[in-house]
Amino acid sequence: MSSMANTGPDPRAQALVESYGRAGYARIEPPTLQPAEPFLDLSGEDIRRRMFLTADPHGRELCLRPDLTIPVSLDYLQSPAAGKAAGFCYLGSVFRHREGAAAELLQAGIESFGRADKAAADAEMLALGLEATTQYGLNAPQIRMGDVGLFAGFVAALDLAPAWKRRLVKDFNRKKLLAQDLDQLTLAAANGAPEYRGVLAALTGSDPKAAHHLVTDLLSIAGIAAVGGRSVAEIADRFLEQSALNAPTRLPRETRTLIERFLSLKGDPDEAAGELRALADETKIPLGPALDLFETRTGFLLARGVNVRAIEFSTAFGRGFDYYTGFVFELHDTADTLPRNKSPLVAGGRYDGLLTRLGAKTAIPAVGFAASIEELAARGGAS
Amino acid sequence: MSATAAPLILAVPSKGRLQQNAEAFFARAGIELVKPRGARDYRGTISGFDGVEVAYLSAAEITAQLAQGTVHLGVTGEDLVREMIPQSQRRVVLVTGLGFGFANVVVAVPQAWIDVRNMADLDDVATAFRLKHERKMRLATKYANLTRGFFAEHGVVDYRIVESSGATEGAPAAGTAELIVDITTTGATLAANGLKVIDDGIILRSQANLVAARAAHWDSAQREVTRLLFDRIAAQKRADQYREVRTRFAGLNEKVLAAVREKFGVATPFGGPTSSGMLTLHCPPEYVHALANFLREHGAEAVSVAGLDYVYTRDNPLYAKLAAELDAAG
Repeated sequence: MSSMANTGPDPRAQALVESYGRAGYARIEPPTLQPAEPFLDLSGEDIRRRMFLTADPHGRELCLRPDLTIPVSLDYLQSPAAGKAAGFCYLGSVFRHREGAAAELLQAGIESFGRADKAAADAEMLALGLEATTQYGLNAPQIRMGDVGLFAGFVAALDLAPAWKRRLVKDFNRKKLLAQDLDQLTLAAANGAPEYRGVLAALTGSDPKAAHHLVTDLLSIAGIAAVGGRSVAEIADRFLEQSALNAPTRLPRETRTLIERFLSLKGDPDEAAGELRALADETKIPLGPALDLFETRTGFLLARGVNVRAIEFSTAFGRGFDYYTGFVFELHDTADTLPRNKSPLVAGGRYDGLLTRLGAKTAIPAVGFAASIEELAARGGAS
Repeated sequence: MSATAAPLILAVPSKGRLQQNAEAFFARAGIELVKPRGARDYRGTISGFDGVEVAYLSAAEITAQLAQGTVHLGVTGEDLVREMIPQSQRRVVLVTGLGFGFANVVVAVPQAWIDVRNMADLDDVATAFRLKHERKMRLATKYANLTRGFFAEHGVVDYRIVESSGATEGAPAAGTAELIVDITTTGATLAANGLKVIDDGIILRSQANLVAARAAHWDSAQREVTRLLFDRIAAQKRADQYREVRTRFAGLNEKVLAAVREKFGVATPFGGPTSSGMLTLHCPPEYVHALANFLREHGAEAVSVAGLDYVYTRDNPLYAKLAAELDAAG
């Protein structure tokens, strides 16, 4: 494909990515054809349905990139800058099968790696995203904002079985499942009382080594050979985790009310921070660093001239991708004259865990966003 | 408006048990598949029916052609339909199950995972695995679409599919996957490979189905021949569900009739007793003996029970279903 396709028919897209360059982000053009594995592993099997997959003669699975965050991250990890602070921008196509719509979408975005000043970096992404809409004549888009870190911090501080904490955090992005989880937790239904009470009772108070021996013996008595993936230690650990808790798999009603109260908080970031502090004080559930980061970020947003009062923050807002770990945002057209398509004009967020999962030896903070040229051009005024 | 209409194309499996079962099924319905040019021919006809062409294809090929509408009707497994055809209800109509080719598509994990009994356990284990190993569990399967739908329903997201083209059940032992989704009839192969089926891990109970393609060309000629074929199939199906029970005795009245209908699920296709007092009942096979006892307790001297080959009725439920589906789509 020639570079003509990338620059596109819209000169404003070119101008937009040039403005990213002036903001200090180096232009990068990752290959269109990418290994499929990272996308499937990180974005979930659901994306496979929408991906264009192929294979090379050695049977390696390849795809037309369905997003640019992972390709840019991979290129960064291969570059001499890997592990250091570095920022990149791009203008390029992503490919996703969409019923009744073109599969090729043009995106102009930024990925910022390795910055320790997370709050400032977050605020910069939102500010640059707003500049992108301004360049298309959309001066005051709706700003939706969330913070996955707040929910994770809140759940971590709850008095709950680790299995349930894992599940709540995992299902944060799937609101229907989260509601089901809460129902199940309170009812202690199918999954409620653990099976194998005898084993769990025998394990109460054991150390991991003793638990490991017990599970090994159980398998050997049953004549089962350990096969594949999970080790005996992992199985023992999970039993131990269940027994240590003496089966409090039931969610106390007040904890459920608390979770629901937490998830119903919304407002502008200042109002929300106030309510979160009040909730934390009242319930003695520390939100500590996550809330501090949240408030510092609001300060940086103000400093960048963002109209903070206009931001619609909600504790329940997520973007449906598991790799986000903190701040997330979407910009939407307020007029919404094209009801057919509810896609955001600009969307992004923080994904601090992604680079480790792509092979980085140490944790590298990362944040970024992408502007949809198609949406901006369709909704924005004439240039 | 050409005088010679295009034939109705019926696709039948070309190999193995599925072919034998399909031919036996059609034969029972009085539909005899013939290969005029010899056994190795891949095109055939149905004796006594004009305007039908039989295409012998693999089950996967039948499924693909049904999706495209290049055949009208086909015999294939429900598992293949659900796996290979996205939004299958919009592309094909599952007319009826054929009573053979039974198999389940199941989620199976190593037997050593003694802490995993149900999908909720698997959900937890999958997430814990991802957090511990920094990668997702791998699931080997030929049924990527069925798996995705089922796992999404159960909220399991921390897994990834590795496509498997054969011997899926060996993947965990070979170390290429942690768990599998595969088709099984008895579970013996799974057990032999150290695997067990999760309690609520049955994704689909599949059997061979008679399937119609919505996208095929359905003119009055193809519809008419389909109506005749389905009439025979329905008549045979109905005959299978009943035994014919005949008797004659003095105490036979409406009250007794109402009681046998109620107690034994009996149908009275020809109404009450004839003028000579003969009564014909259609009784589900499992109640035949109880019915015979009941009738004798009420005065019958003799009760005869016989199998039925065909029971034709005024309606043609299989064709009615297909016609309704095709008309709704058009």
